Amino acid sequence: MQSNRLGWILLAPTLVILFFFGVVPFFYVLWLSFHQWNPFALDPAVVYNGADNFRALVFDNGFLASLGVTIAFVFFAVLTELIVGYLLAQAFMKEFPGKAVFRTIHTLPLIMAPIIVGSIWKLMTTPSIGIIPSLLASWFGFDLNIGTSAVAAFTVTVIMDVWHWTPLVTLTLIAALVSLPADPFEQAQIDGANKRQIFWHITLPMIAPALLATVFIRLMDALRTVDEVLMLTGGGPGSATRYLGVHIFKEVFPKTNYGYGSAVSIIVLYLTIVACWLLYVALIAPRNKKA
Amino acid sequence: MAGVNIDDVYKRYGSVQVMHGVSIDIEDGEFVVLVGPSGCGKSTLLRMLAGLEPISDGTIKIGEKVVNEVLPKDRDIAMVFQSYALYPHKTVAQNIGFPLKMAKRPKAEIDEKVGRAAEILDLTKYLDRYPKALSGGQRQRVAMGRAIVRDPKVFLFDEPLSNLDAKLRVSMRMEIKELHQRLKTTIVYVTHDQIEAMTMADKIVVMRDGRVEQIGAPLDLYDNPQNVFVAGFIGSPSMNFVKGRIDGANGTRQFVSEGGLVLPLPAQASVAVGQEVIYGIRPEHISIGEGGVAMDVVVIEPTGSETQVFARSGTDLIDAVVKDRIAARPGEKIGFHIDLSRVHLFDGKTQQRL
Repeated sequence: MQSNRLGWILLAPTLVILFFFGVVPFFYVLWLSFHQWNPFALDPAVVYNGADNFRALVFDNGFLASLGVTIAFVFFAVLTELIVGYLLAQAFMKEFPGKAVFRTIHTLPLIMAPIIVGSIWKLMTTPSIGIIPSLLASWFGFDLNIGTSAVAAFTVTVIMDVWHWTPLVTLTLIAALVSLPADPFEQAQIDGANKRQIFWHITLPMIAPALLATVFIRLMDALRTVDEVLMLTGGGPGSATRYLGVHIFKEVFPKTNYGYGSAVSIIVLYLTIVACWLLYVALIAPRNKKA
Repeated sequence: MAGVNIDDVYKRYGSVQVMHGVSIDIEDGEFVVLVGPSGCGKSTLLRMLAGLEPISDGTIKIGEKVVNEVLPKDRDIAMVFQSYALYPHKTVAQNIGFPLKMAKRPKAEIDEKVGRAAEILDLTKYLDRYPKALSGGQRQRVAMGRAIVRDPKVFLFDEPLSNLDAKLRVSMRMEIKELHQRLKTTIVYVTHDQIEAMTMADKIVVMRDGRVEQIGAPLDLYDNPQNVFVAGFIGSPSMNFVKGRIDGANGTRQFVSEGGLVLPLPAQASVAVGQEVIYGIRPEHISIGEGGVAMDVVVIEPTGSETQVFARSGTDLIDAVVKDRIAARPGEKIGFHIDLSRVHLFDGKTQQRL
């Protein structure tokens, strides 16, 4: 009993902080999502309106468009991060001159705040002053304008996300690859498997848990991307990069549409959970069940 | 099926040479055991045969083909690792069928061969299980199954039994030997356990420090060890060695140890008076009775079927294994009778057989 009480005492500060900054806001947002509240509207009162916010969502073209581009963004960004991250992790498993320096540089984006990343990419991609449009124009005669081209803006946000978060994937996969036993790989060579077969039949299934954990983390992060994109494109041009996080931000802050913004947040949380659950059911659960 | 020819093979890691010109001829269908203490290079040699370790010099042939530059997957060999190296994410059936799947065999054929291998190895009940749900012995059998479905030219075994308990080891030993008798495929088997080597091999290769010490049939090595190392390594309990010199006058010769123990010599021994020798006699070639060499009993270890007697004379400790039960007590005098036809004499300096 003694050690039990000591444990709770040691945990208490964390629990208190978690309670006030995690649990309370969550339930507050949940509560708000069932209310109509715009403090700067004609009627600034908080009015209970049942599931009206959620009903409105389904017919809200702005929200649906945002959901669409978000899914596209998450798909391209996370997939690219996984592929590039895996290739880099495999490269870091080998010895080459300057490996330590390269690995450090490669990890640097991870320690940068998203808002800084957004600023840097804005500086690099702003037409007429950015280095990237300038180089693309002088080398390939390509006109990159993220202020007018929806495709360009979308692509640059994906590349920015890949630039920022691939190192995380690389680090996790290096950890997974390093911890793999050597024997099954030697055995597979003897069993007649070529490199491609070893990758599909041995490497991939053996790093699958780490890979999926990474996908979960990246999926959740990408679904709630706000600051980088807000800084870079402000959600534009039009609503080309108005991802859900940006959409919520714009609903809640400039429009002060608190009730509706809360409802969108709850839906995004729900979608994230569903997406992770689907991945889990599709990829991990069958393995556990059979074992 | 094919023989294996290892010709003057060297292995260097940078400037360190770990294998010094090893040559071994293995005939088609032979069961060859590489045996030696840890670090003798036997596993490295096996990995070189498998193609997992490049060789620095020399040639390795499987059948008529030089395989120095051939990738493991193209050598047509099967290997069982000490750790079994099962694929943790595949079921028993998938593990066993993996080599066939890699060879793109039709599914019906894979199922049939896996089924047959499982039957031979008594794994039919476990085909749907994952390796983590199997016992050590079952895992070992899955690894064997994966090897036998291949019908390879050569089986390589790297200490496959050393992770099993003693009882299981004995029964698996028999199963592997039986399997060899049935399949008649060439087997190269690595172990540090000389009993495994003795019981299973057609031919034993004793290795030490990256060199071959002796190659021969098990009983040949037991009866005629070429040097002190092989004599001590083969046989359990290990051979007694006593250092000393040949003493004698008027045509009678005897062995006198450094500690003064006098032992009889076989009449035909080709040794000269004054020569420094190592006198070797196996514990099982000493009997106990009246007269003989007088020794003081130190410890008696009865095992039921036989009794091991450790006895001392001066600084020399000799043990004997006899079928009879011994009534003597520690400290008492006892008479050792040495079977003179079984005495081994080695040169005191080169340690080679005389």
